[in-house]
Amino acid sequence: MKMKNIKSIITLIALTIAVYSCTKTIEPPLVNSPPQLVIEGAVSDTAGPYHVTISKSVDFYADNTYPGVSGATVTITDQTAGVNDVLTETSTGNYTTHSIVGKPGSTYQLTVLLDGKTYTSTSTMPYPVALDSITFDYTIVKNLIQPVVHFQDPAAYTNYYKFSVQVNGVKVKRFQTFDDRLSNGKYINTDVVLDTGAIKKNDLVNVSLVATDKGANTFLSEAENIAFYNSDQAAPATPTSNITGGCLGYFSAQTVSSKKKILK
Amino acid sequence: MFTGFAKDTTVKHSKLYFYDLNLKANYQIDDNNKIFLSGYFGKDVMSIKDLFGLDYGNMTGTLRLNHIFSGKLFSNTSLIYSKYNYNVHILDNSNDVKVTSAIKDFHFKQDFNYYLNTANKLSFGFESTFHLTQPGNAVSSEASSYNDISLQNKHSVESALYLSDEWNASNKLKITYGLRLSELNVLGPGTFYTYDQNGNKADSSHYNSGQIVKSYFTPEPRIAASYQLNEQSSVKLSYDRNVQNIHLLSNSSFSSTSVYLPSSNNIKPEIADQISTGYYRTFHQGAYEFSTELYYKKLQNQIDYKNGADLIGNENIEADLLYGDGRAYGWETFFKKKTGRFTGWLSYTLSRTERKIAGINDGNYYPATQDQTHHISLVGMYQASKKWTFSADFVYNTGNAVTWPSQKFSVDGAPVYYYSERNSSRMPAYQRLDLGATLIAKKTAKYESSWTFSLYNAYGQANPYTIEFQTDPKNTNKTQVLQTTLFKTVPAVTYNFKF
Repeated sequence: MKMKNIKSIITLIALTIAVYSCTKTIEPPLVNSPPQLVIEGAVSDTAGPYHVTISKSVDFYADNTYPGVSGATVTITDQTAGVNDVLTETSTGNYTTHSIVGKPGSTYQLTVLLDGKTYTSTSTMPYPVALDSITFDYTIVKNLIQPVVHFQDPAAYTNYYKFSVQVNGVKVKRFQTFDDRLSNGKYINTDVVLDTGAIKKNDLVNVSLVATDKGANTFLSEAENIAFYNSDQAAPATPTSNITGGCLGYFSAQTVSSKKKILK
Repeated sequence: MFTGFAKDTTVKHSKLYFYDLNLKANYQIDDNNKIFLSGYFGKDVMSIKDLFGLDYGNMTGTLRLNHIFSGKLFSNTSLIYSKYNYNVHILDNSNDVKVTSAIKDFHFKQDFNYYLNTANKLSFGFESTFHLTQPGNAVSSEASSYNDISLQNKHSVESALYLSDEWNASNKLKITYGLRLSELNVLGPGTFYTYDQNGNKADSSHYNSGQIVKSYFTPEPRIAASYQLNEQSSVKLSYDRNVQNIHLLSNSSFSSTSVYLPSSNNIKPEIADQISTGYYRTFHQGAYEFSTELYYKKLQNQIDYKNGADLIGNENIEADLLYGDGRAYGWETFFKKKTGRFTGWLSYTLSRTERKIAGINDGNYYPATQDQTHHISLVGMYQASKKWTFSADFVYNTGNAVTWPSQKFSVDGAPVYYYSERNSSRMPAYQRLDLGATLIAKKTAKYESSWTFSLYNAYGQANPYTIEFQTDPKNTNKTQVLQTTLFKTVPAVTYNFKF
């Protein structure tokens, strides 16, 4: 696990220390690298179709707009049922499934053929874990309100989770991982870290508890450290992809349990 | 100390203080025996009400017996105890965690000095240190989302036998040579793991209390020759080997989370073989001193983190480490004014420290985190009167080697960064000027008191504490680099007294 609570506390302390500190933006020179291929895809136990996106990375100082990559042959195979689904490119770099249905316990394989190279990944959908309820933590920091998730971690399995949040139907560009390495079998109450001002009074907040397998969690937890806690990493590095063939990104067969609540 | 200035009420319920205490005593038993006792206690406490508490303490105690056997043979017997500990307490909703960690050393040392003849002074002796490392226990309440964890204590004994001779070969040539035989024994109790290349546990074995898990024996030879060219100048050539059994793993940017690890069944003692040469000279009857030195170090058993190493609550931290070699070389120049009302020194070092570790940067040499190309230090003191002394202290150095991203891509809509190489970027250069003024308030034979007025970082240089890569909060379609500076100018007044 990543002790996200502790990290959120450390973030609060950092904010408090900010009383004595100051910040400024700088533009240091960064190492040049060629754009990298990025594949992101998921199959879940909620209704399809499911999507795979293929794009290219951009320079750090460029806009957060990532060019889509067209012309790939993308296949998702349900290895348990023995079903193949060849995805259709519905817009530039976005590939959509037709028939495949996500089922807990099944193993799915993603195959991407592009410019003579093959990229593959397999992911097994874990058994679902139910999100009991959500509440709100009105933190000591002004305008920083965080959803708190409440659920029972099953003691019999090693579980990997991701929390994601929608506010008034719009996805928050942030994610958080959790695993039961230090919490196996515990009833979990943990804050979902959001930026200050991300949720306000009368907002409809939807929180999803997404259960993933180990390979997807390795990528997501490393990606989370790099995206949101890069200044306190011992050895910051590109997150380890669970897709082979030399690309960035991940493929995940996952279950989703969501709860909605209006912030009063 | 600083909390009184804060406007935020949360901060007002916070504590931030530290103290230091030094004690010294000696007692002359008779003409041939003298006892020295000294102690040091330090404690730093920081807490934010209902949220977070952190305290760390330092303590050392030394008892030394000085015995004169004869006009030629002297002995010093020392018993030293030292302890460093920290406690962290985190409160968050129903989740609370208390983490405690400590390092304790018990050290015995027996040194002899023997004046063999007018040309040779021998030093010999032995020492033994018992290291106890308690890496951490985390205790949570029943309602907490976390189970308790207890990391295994680490035990080791470091012993050494040494002999060295200061030989005045002629009135111009002085040679100091010696040998130190050091041995480290990693001891049980505990379960000791080995790891495969991917950091998975490969094997484990259990040892009982006092059983030897692993022994490392290292001879440490040294020789230094200095030759007096004339009354003012001399040259020196030396070789020495040093073994290090406490390893500092520095974090790429956040120095407060640096980790110290003892040698273990996986971590071998770090060995440094150094050759150096220097030229020294004085001017104006010793009023000025100048020196310049060149050195080269060959380093073995260097340690660095694997990509993406996670240190929080990690019992298998050794699984996240990689080992290899290193080298360091540099040129140091030093100039000092030793007499008069104005004294001070200027030093400059040009250096490079590199590592070569399989699994990092394709096994090529890369700069170590603490690699500093330039280091300049300028210190001046001015005795204005019997009561007033003024001082200025300036330091400048190249920033640490750090790992910064070169590309970014999207994961669940959030920008995540792509890194091409370890330690290929540089923190901004560090610079600071400290000013001080000391006023002696009272001075008698038995009692002395003084006031020191100081200005830390006098011109308010914004030195970086952390550098963070993040989404620009004002324009979420952009990313930015945010530098946080902890303290700009800090004035302080201290009152010292001695009796």
